[in-house]
Amino acid sequence: MTEPSRSKLALVLLLLLVMQFYVRPRMWDADVAPDFVMLALMVFAMRARPGAAAAAGFLTGLMMDSLGPGRFGAAALANTMVGYMASYGRAVFFADNLLVHAGFIGVGVWVRDVVVLLASGAAGQSLLWQLLVWSPLQGLTTAIAGMVLLVVFRDWLAIRLDA
Amino acid sequence: MIEPPDRARFRSDTVVFVGCLLLATGMMFVPPARTERVASGIRNSVLLPIVWLQQRAAEAKTSRARLTLIQAQRDSIALLAQTMPALREENDRLRQLLELGQRTPLDFVPAEILHQVSPTDGLTLLLSVGTADGVEAFQPVVSPEGLLGVVSTADRHTSIVTTWAHPEFRASALTEGGGVFGIVAPAAETSALLELRGVPYRDTIPAGTLVLTSGLGGVYPKGIPVGRVMGVVRELSGWERTYQVRPAANPAQAAHALVLKSPAGSSMEEAFPAEGSQEP
Repeated sequence: MTEPSRSKLALVLLLLLVMQFYVRPRMWDADVAPDFVMLALMVFAMRARPGAAAAAGFLTGLMMDSLGPGRFGAAALANTMVGYMASYGRAVFFADNLLVHAGFIGVGVWVRDVVVLLASGAAGQSLLWQLLVWSPLQGLTTAIAGMVLLVVFRDWLAIRLDA
Repeated sequence: MIEPPDRARFRSDTVVFVGCLLLATGMMFVPPARTERVASGIRNSVLLPIVWLQQRAAEAKTSRARLTLIQAQRDSIALLAQTMPALREENDRLRQLLELGQRTPLDFVPAEILHQVSPTDGLTLLLSVGTADGVEAFQPVVSPEGLLGVVSTADRHTSIVTTWAHPEFRASALTEGGGVFGIVAPAAETSALLELRGVPYRDTIPAGTLVLTSGLGGVYPKGIPVGRVMGVVRELSGWERTYQVRPAANPAQAAHALVLKSPAGSSMEEAFPAEGSQEP
């Protein structure tokens, strides 16, 4: 990654952080609102090597664990797995297609929720309700936000998008 | 033999991944008291700008979107307050007749709830107030609708609340009118409901009855609405009943909360002197 493209990526990640902690609480219902931190992790993972993506996942997870501890370490574990798999998966499997990227982001959010909920000891109806209703909805809204981000910042992120 | 660079990089990626996985898994088995110290340290250093940013956003949302609601509530309370002096006078007179002491006034700290994106948000909440505002552990947290939970830890500028949806939450409760006592706990099947456990078999509670905190235990003052009874969920034959309760307040939807401060001199430490400090 060149120096200018690194700073552009850093700017996009900073924008997503501001969206998460300043814009999101003011505008959306928390259960289904896009998760911009997860989106930032996925965007970073698309550009970085799996090791760096895993480390970024661990750090973002640690941040989420510190802000709202359900079970400390659960989000760090989930984001590490998602970051690594996203980076590895993109290098090996995925085409440069906007919808594929969006699906990729949505699945990432859902997998994160599965790992966090299971690691936190959630069970019963509330687990099913979360995994079958709220998590897919949040995955969908995050995927839509991801599509907008990729289209608007496609040059900055240097991501090739076939129609 | 020199390894190809790709293989070496793949190996280093795997080492980083496995290292992060082990670290995260290890953190999950560290006692909560220690992890809370780590979390508090991170919140008060690296994440301080983020907490500040989210606090500003929550305040802006409250001031903008809830203005009409707050005005309506203020009007209702103003109307109610007009009858207060007469009621207070009557209450004081009755207390004197019964030789009761004065009711302890409750002080509170208003706080914004800083919701997080985690799917476990609602089991614990992050509040925008901390020890600098007079918040301490074990202080009850309420919303205008009813009980939300209790402060589990407080650091300088933020505090963590264990809500009624958390599996470890318990509170002593009684039904409106003071007839039936029990223990309120989150429902076993779903985290959206509560249960009133340990109700004696001889007592029957009709659906729709309001459940309030009983004041027993020294954490929650008497009379905070907890929820309304929906019906019997199970019975231990001839011994006790468990009722399902629809909670009065929803932690996942609440935006604003009040932390009830302990009245001065209400510490119960003197009642339980440490071993060795007792006079012979």
